[in-house]
Amino acid sequence: MKSSVIKYDKDNIDTDVILPGQYLKLHDYAEIAKHAMEGIDKNFHSKVKNAEFIVAGKNFGCGSSREHATIALSQSGIKAVLAVSFARIFYRNAVDGAFLLPIEIDENAYKNISDKDELEINTEKNKINNLTKEQVYSMKPFPELIKKIIDAGGLFNYKP
Amino acid sequence: MPKTLFEKIWDSHLVNKQDERSLLYIDRHLIHEVTSPQAFDGLRTNERKVRRPDLTIATMDHNVPTTNRSLPIVDEMSATQMQVLEKNCKDFGIQLFDLHSPNQGIVHVIGPELGLTLPGSTIVCGDSHTSTHGAFGALAFGIGTSDVEHVLATQCLWMDKLKTFEIRVEGKRKNPHTITAKDIILYIIRKIGTGGGVGSVIEYRGETITELTIEQRMTICNMSIEGGARAGLVAPDEKTFQYLQGRRFVPNNYDQCVDDWRENLKSDPGASFDKTITIKAEEIAPQVSWGTNPAMTTDVTDIVPFPSDYARGNPDEEKAAERSLEYMALKSGTPITGITLDRVFIGSCTNSRLEDLIEASRVVKGKKVSSKVRALVVPGSQLVKRQAEKLGLDVIFKDANFEWRESGCSMCLGMNPDILAPGERCASTSNRNFEGRQGFGGRTHLMSPVMAAAAAIAGHIVDVREVDLN
Repeated sequence: MKSSVIKYDKDNIDTDVILPGQYLKLHDYAEIAKHAMEGIDKNFHSKVKNAEFIVAGKNFGCGSSREHATIALSQSGIKAVLAVSFARIFYRNAVDGAFLLPIEIDENAYKNISDKDELEINTEKNKINNLTKEQVYSMKPFPELIKKIIDAGGLFNYKP
Repeated sequence: MPKTLFEKIWDSHLVNKQDERSLLYIDRHLIHEVTSPQAFDGLRTNERKVRRPDLTIATMDHNVPTTNRSLPIVDEMSATQMQVLEKNCKDFGIQLFDLHSPNQGIVHVIGPELGLTLPGSTIVCGDSHTSTHGAFGALAFGIGTSDVEHVLATQCLWMDKLKTFEIRVEGKRKNPHTITAKDIILYIIRKIGTGGGVGSVIEYRGETITELTIEQRMTICNMSIEGGARAGLVAPDEKTFQYLQGRRFVPNNYDQCVDDWRENLKSDPGASFDKTITIKAEEIAPQVSWGTNPAMTTDVTDIVPFPSDYARGNPDEEKAAERSLEYMALKSGTPITGITLDRVFIGSCTNSRLEDLIEASRVVKGKKVSSKVRALVVPGSQLVKRQAEKLGLDVIFKDANFEWRESGCSMCLGMNPDILAPGERCASTSNRNFEGRQGFGGRTHLMSPVMAAAAAIAGHIVDVREVDLN
């Protein structure tokens, strides 16, 4: 996976800013996507045209269990969120619904990656190559079963 | 080997284990109109049935109007979402407490009320505040829509085994009418942070917790998720068994169940927790949030903090506090009690039960809401509303110029017409003060029902300890 980064230099990005509550009434994925990150970044939709990765700090996706948050990001074109840590329900939703990859990175990688940096992510080798800065970071490997669910394309495609 | 309460419930629900994940049996699945439609779509696409419609119960709460229910619903999208739930429940044979049911209410209020929440059981719902049901010694947690679909189809869920986090609250509160369960849990979140409980189930223990009523324990467990924990637990005791006695959905062999629960549902002496902290109840003052997450909270007697003091040398925290203060339009050094308000909301799955309304009404009785404030009471369920009306609480609130509404989630999450206008500031008994949570640009101060009631009267935040409680 190779793409550029939208960076939010912030911890605790909650599901209410990723997709504000009033849009939970929407059923259509494309409609939901139109409101992604509306609570925090009015320019998200112009940025996401050229970027498939979000980088943020600790406890990304905290708050509500709304899967609409992962749907909104995924349908907007986000393929992976790289964060220092994730709220667990968000993490599960991302994996089980096969919406995007929740990738845990360390503080050092988080600090070093800037907005618009070009990254190449290799989830087999657990390496993140920052092509802009010519740096390499490691990502926390996915636990074994999570990896199997990701490879299967979500919980419903996974056969134990 | 001695086991914690969590481990006992976990082990007794284990269907299968693979790698580090376990397949867990789910005893009760609660669903509502917002996080279930896509799950039913999935079932239809794959021609699957609901495995145990008898263990699945539905209500409408998130986007329902709280005004006169004999009128048509104005918001078409909300109306559609409710119709879709009705159709799904009908097609799949699930019992639904709809908008016009005498049992309608917030899912976490009606579950216990109907005796659907049982000690030692596993409960899931597509809502993060499912942790509320842990107050009965049930392992209860929120799930997303893919997992809702999985539970509908299989009645099971893959889970990583959670870590155990013991929070002991010891000693006596100075006054249980002014230092409430809400103050205890806000104080805990302030201490552990919004990520303090990530990956854990918190078991609340100690003298203070034992002394709490069941409804107060629900307030505590409800906000476990705001500390990052998946679930909260309180070991059931005689109060729990008494609370559930005679409720509609409790098992026929209730006494036998109680004997079993009494015997087994507690952490064994010597059981070890992954983490333990102790909180002293006498240190807790009424709490008020000043920022944009629930950990950004302080004593009512305090000032709006300076970001550097709040951050204690952590530059990220300092930046977050600066941003929060900007959003909240607050100046560091301002006394918390000096913060003026536009709106007051008493409601939500955290604080909309009968005891909450009784306590708040004591503050309000014989007084008037400030002319600068619009104040709202939204009972958690139709049953709470009827019980409150029987006690005359509706009259007390209405005489004071509070609006007395129908039950639902209402202004907690801004999905129905009860929202803040941009820039409006609200004292709220709900659980989240995130940016925009109660409406775009809305500013939320979390506090207890008595604090919110007192603030409504004064027009600004006040220390409820200085208010005459009738």
